Amino acid sequence: MEPLLRLEHIDKSFPGVRALVDVQFDVRPGEVHALLGENGAGKSTLIKIISGVYSADTGDIFVEGQEVEFSNPREAQSRGIATIYQELLLYPELSVAENIFMGHAPRTRFGMIDWPKMREQAVEILSSLDIHDIDVTRNVGTLTVGNRQRVEIAKALSQNARLLIMDEPTAALTEADVQRLFGLVRLLRDRGVAVIYISHRLDEVFMLADRVTVLRDGQYVGTRGIEDTSEDDLISMMVGRTIDDLFPKLDTTVGEAILELRGLTRRPLTKDISLKLHAGEIVGLAGLVGSGRSELAQAVFGFTPAESGEILLDGRQVQIRHPGHAMNLGIAYVPEDRGTQGLIRQMTVRENVSLAILKTLARGSIVNRDAERELAQRSIGQLNIRAYSTEQVVNKLSGGNQQKVVVSKWLASKPRVLIMDEPTRGIDVGAKAEIHRLMSELAQQGMAILMISSELPEVLGMSDRILVMRQGQLVAEFARDEATQENVATAMMSEAATEVQA
Amino acid sequence: MNEAGQTRRPGSRFHDLLFSQEGVLLVILVLSVLLLSTRTDVFLTVDNLLNQGRLLTEIGLLALPMTYIIITGGIDLSVGSIFGLSAIMLGHSWQNWGLPLEYAIFVALLTGVLCGLVNGLFIVRVGVPPLIMTLATLALFRGMALGISQGRSARGYPDWFLELGAGEFLGVPNQLWILVLAAVIAAFILARTVFGRSLYAIGNNELGARFSGIPVGRNKLLIYTFSGLMAGLGGYIFVSRVTTTRSDMGTGHELDVIAAVVLGGTSIFGGTGSIAGTMIGVVLIQLLKNGLALTGVTGDATIVVIGTVLIFAILVNNYVQRRRSGESGAGAA
Repeated sequence: MEPLLRLEHIDKSFPGVRALVDVQFDVRPGEVHALLGENGAGKSTLIKIISGVYSADTGDIFVEGQEVEFSNPREAQSRGIATIYQELLLYPELSVAENIFMGHAPRTRFGMIDWPKMREQAVEILSSLDIHDIDVTRNVGTLTVGNRQRVEIAKALSQNARLLIMDEPTAALTEADVQRLFGLVRLLRDRGVAVIYISHRLDEVFMLADRVTVLRDGQYVGTRGIEDTSEDDLISMMVGRTIDDLFPKLDTTVGEAILELRGLTRRPLTKDISLKLHAGEIVGLAGLVGSGRSELAQAVFGFTPAESGEILLDGRQVQIRHPGHAMNLGIAYVPEDRGTQGLIRQMTVRENVSLAILKTLARGSIVNRDAERELAQRSIGQLNIRAYSTEQVVNKLSGGNQQKVVVSKWLASKPRVLIMDEPTRGIDVGAKAEIHRLMSELAQQGMAILMISSELPEVLGMSDRILVMRQGQLVAEFARDEATQENVATAMMSEAATEVQA
Repeated sequence: MNEAGQTRRPGSRFHDLLFSQEGVLLVILVLSVLLLSTRTDVFLTVDNLLNQGRLLTEIGLLALPMTYIIITGGIDLSVGSIFGLSAIMLGHSWQNWGLPLEYAIFVALLTGVLCGLVNGLFIVRVGVPPLIMTLATLALFRGMALGISQGRSARGYPDWFLELGAGEFLGVPNQLWILVLAAVIAAFILARTVFGRSLYAIGNNELGARFSGIPVGRNKLLIYTFSGLMAGLGGYIFVSRVTTTRSDMGTGHELDVIAAVVLGGTSIFGGTGSIAGTMIGVVLIQLLKNGLALTGVTGDATIVVIGTVLIFAILVNNYVQRRRSGESGAGAA
């Protein structure tokens, strides 16, 4: 079949970096083509070339066999190419219908917006996608992330998109939303829309894709039919080696209890929590989204201080009223959302890494830039952060490298207790393995680590002990060797499951 | 290897300096001065320039904390009113309460501090948006000034008191020394200290700053209080310069101050800015006013020119900065 889109010999350089070298790619109508690669492999650059944000230095782009050149995103759109970015580009204060028809609303003969017709057509478009549960008059800001994404897809289709590019669409979705999204993607595929799907999650790729193309360090590695490949195969294509063990958990000796919580409570989502964290131990905290795991962590960290209950460090009771306290006591928290909580994205790597301990680095209260630079340089080396220099703005790093910056920031505070909230969400396999290895090493050196994760394989693979939260309470505990995917998941959901049945 | 691989290109030092926010502004300032000096002989004289320095001191003092506040993403609209209230309290406590004039000066400064503290407390503890809070106190403090003074002005200050506003030291107006000293300290604090860095962090991402253990509330409280203190000091210097107190003093100062800060390259959205830029902004506006007046341009036309220059300077600066940092992100805004 003639491909809808074909790229040949694409080269693209930025000052100092060759982002893409002789890359080829094609996608056919009615096909989901997954694009895989580590941080910095060139995926984002490639889709930006396809969607007209960047233009390639050399190389040819064909749409339905006809050579094209896009100098801006609008030209790509007029060829039926629509892109759904990780950060959705909707207007939260406008209604669903207004968002769908932004820029091409139906008009009355007086040139005014034809509101009834717009709503009608919005409903039509949504029902053509089998979406019947979204009220088109609602403000987009009141919808869940999953529903917003469906609106964005509807918007793309209202402009007659024939090629839909989805950049990590499931990174922020709940499991139920993921399933609905998959349904939608399959529907589009069956209708002959071509889909380019970027994801770090291999299981999704196998569920959804017809073909997979792998990039590594800006180079084209290969394209495979999904039935001709395996997870191991793809991983070794992505990293150029085989990862024997995705979760490099090292054996450690579990020592004394460092942190102990007794009846810690902060309504509504932290209720009477008692637990102990020991030196050298990684404790996994599992639970559904909204079960109160982050809230617990933030109560311990002093961001939202506990209302009652005790926190003990080395057996001595301590008061933690704000994050500065927690930090001085040797507790660090790598938050869930690196973009809004973990980083100051407009600032440099140096400024971010030093932010929490700036006072310690300072002479008097004057910032010691040499010490800062040294720290940042060390962090870049230690965590293998792919940045040009300590002066690079964090915003320009890829997700995995941004996460490493957040981790560096907190390691710089030399914590004894490290709480990591979704430490590997939305980052690629390579960076993930690096962060896991680091966690193992830190535990081995005697740090106590509490890891919150929604990914069960990660929880099972990394934890010495697993705690499960449900509706603000600790409901189960498993030792490493007795935990299975099934019994942990059951503990996470059991009540929710009974509720649904009732 | 990086996908969005642009970073600052390391240029020569001079090149970096010239194309920084402040460099571009400085060029505009120098061009304006040169242009104005061809129109009148009086403008580019030491006497005139020093006198302008005397006149811009109050705005300059207010602009220092305003730079801090705007960098954190806040605003303080009440500075003009605090300025007026402090001035009134000086005259009132001296003439009506019978306090020694030295104490009355202290009362003026204390008034400023308390006003700033009230702003800060409501903004930090109650969570009132700075724009709303200081808009309210803009009216409140001005009303208090009117009420306390009953529309009467205080005059008859002794000579030693007027020395600060009218005298000079080493040939330079006294108050200009204060401004220069304050500006140097303020610039140092902003650029070099942990506190200064925290202001940038707050302005770029307040939540992220909180999660990094930065005492966001305390620091905001400090800068709004500092703003009050500088308004009090400005009020005192102003009274000393004009030898009288009236309740409408400082009316509209907030807009002049904000204009100077924004002209100086501080982003109204927070996160960037510098004291050097602000000071160039203050000087540029004052010299334009003066130069145009000397060339015989009427007051109305002067305002129009200043507005135009403001827009022009911001456009030029945006253009230069964008060229410098390169295109960033897929702008669908």
